[in-house]
Amino acid sequence: MSVTQPLALNADATLVDWLRQQARLRGSAVALRHKQRGIWHETTWSQASAEVGRLAARLAQQGFGAGERLLVISHPRPEALLLSLAAQALDGSAILLDPLASGASLRHLLAHAAPAYVFAEGQVEVDLVLATGARRLIIYADARGLAHYRQPALLAYQQALADEGPSPQAPRSSQQHAAFVFYRGTDSGAIEQQQLQHRELLLAGKQLVLGERLTAREQALAARALPTDAQIRYLLAPWLLAGFCLNFPENLATRDIDRRELGPTLVAGTRETYGRLAELVFDRLPSPGSWLRRLIDYALQPQAPAWVRWLSVYPLRRPLSDVLGLRRARVPLLIGEPLPEPTRRLFVAIGVKVRAWPEGAHWQPSDVPSATPSVSPVGLLSTGVVQ
Amino acid sequence: MTTLPQPLLRLEHISLSFKGVHAISDIGFDVAPGEICALIGPNGAGKSSLLNVINGVYQPQQGRITFDGQVRRQMRPHDAARRGIARTFQNIALFKGMSVLDNVLTGRTLSTRSSWLEQALRIGRAPREEDAQRRRAEEVIEFLRIQPWRHALVGQLPYGLQKRVELARALVAEPRLLLLDEPMAGMNADEKLEMSQFILDSNREFATTVVLIEHDIGVVMGLSHHVVVLDYGKKIGDGSPDEVRRNPEVIRAYLGTKH
Repeated sequence: MSVTQPLALNADATLVDWLRQQARLRGSAVALRHKQRGIWHETTWSQASAEVGRLAARLAQQGFGAGERLLVISHPRPEALLLSLAAQALDGSAILLDPLASGASLRHLLAHAAPAYVFAEGQVEVDLVLATGARRLIIYADARGLAHYRQPALLAYQQALADEGPSPQAPRSSQQHAAFVFYRGTDSGAIEQQQLQHRELLLAGKQLVLGERLTAREQALAARALPTDAQIRYLLAPWLLAGFCLNFPENLATRDIDRRELGPTLVAGTRETYGRLAELVFDRLPSPGSWLRRLIDYALQPQAPAWVRWLSVYPLRRPLSDVLGLRRARVPLLIGEPLPEPTRRLFVAIGVKVRAWPEGAHWQPSDVPSATPSVSPVGLLSTGVVQ
Repeated sequence: MTTLPQPLLRLEHISLSFKGVHAISDIGFDVAPGEICALIGPNGAGKSSLLNVINGVYQPQQGRITFDGQVRRQMRPHDAARRGIARTFQNIALFKGMSVLDNVLTGRTLSTRSSWLEQALRIGRAPREEDAQRRRAEEVIEFLRIQPWRHALVGQLPYGLQKRVELARALVAEPRLLLLDEPMAGMNADEKLEMSQFILDSNREFATTVVLIEHDIGVVMGLSHHVVVLDYGKKIGDGSPDEVRRNPEVIRAYLGTKH
């Protein structure tokens, strides 16, 4: 199978169809890599596809059907991604909340979305979900602190995978249906939403794959601080279309170390992401005004003579791009607002050509709550934390 | 009729003196399995000495210690460690020139079964054992959220983080009884809160029984199930935080005064 295979599938294919297609085409290739406890764990395309199938069976067993919504409140991690795809495999959609939003904002959005099915990353998120109403199913990934919780709706991700139910009679997913829904609160307290349909995502993904010539050889990093809608547009759809490997860092605090270890070729970040990386570089440079700093600034200037730039490659430019883990970055994408001039100049100087892509978000007022009402409180109201 | 669980640790009539100076006089109390027991008292009350008696650094002149059903007059530190007693120190005792991971791995030394030859040649039991030790160390590193500093040299870390690494080294030994000597000394309020949470989590998640010394009464009362109050080497209070708070002798000797 060529790593640059043409993007070919039915015009009405959905994201899950693309996952299955990649499993057929390059089943043993690595689809996902997630660092946990210091070790990168790999999932192949066929494993990812099988996992989505098992998760869909579990969701169907719990009554999840066409038009239902699974709310995901988690930093980017494989479990969140695969569960979202499982929901879509049943012709449902995934509501993604920004886990970095404030607790008050998340509570407000949770009350509005009133989801019956939830994926909550760990104890903090589970507490938040339990505090805002009864749920039919809450799947969690990180069991820490949850050992004493007795809510019947709670289910560990590994358990959801292990207890395989009968294969669901999956309805045919439609490209017209929303694959992902995002909610956000405004300053006035109103709630806005953004829906991404399969067709829209795949078209945008195709545009990126062709525009940036992405192949299955790419190593992409899902930076955990990148807004979730940008993750979906610029990483998820291209991942499914091009069949490259999507990497998830261990956590927010280790992302820079993980990037350095990995050396991704495809990176998507915002102005803030690149600004933070630039700060990492500036922190390592000698203090401004010193003769060494003046020399470095001179060598990094685009107007510096060619021989100076050439001489500075090994002692300066390469070590700096190594520090950032961007040495192999072939496609560094900037989503949204442009970079401030000093930051832009720095990345040009160290040979990282950041390319801007539009944010592409269309937020609309959300008057209509979730299509799926919250489950009847009968029997599920015992949501208090059992110590 | 309900029967009380057998205490994990029982101290009876423990007395310790150094060249005739009484550091501890006739102290006894029980520590139930799974509880967090705090030793409080003014400086010089004998708290650290008592901790040293429990893990065998000091040998008491009188009294006996029952740990996990076994009665001992004396216990050597190595014995204590093998039987599941781990500890941290008031002054950080880490290998400053080694990485966080390597420091944590030293806590697994006692559970190593392979010979030095197997380890040197990476044959026999050594590779499998090494993998298992690393897995356990990584679990604790994740638990205490010190992953970003996994490969950093301990000597270069701030004080609060070094304290956390020391806790990690103790926890990685999978102790049944964890002795913490002023785990929050020198920390600011946020760091204390964080450390308290880690101690509480260790107690809940790993069912580790904890005996700790702490001067911050607010922290102690919020964290502990059981408080023992010492003053001039004698026990003056023993009970739940509420009972101790109401104990007139404790109020007179300790809580009511500023130190």
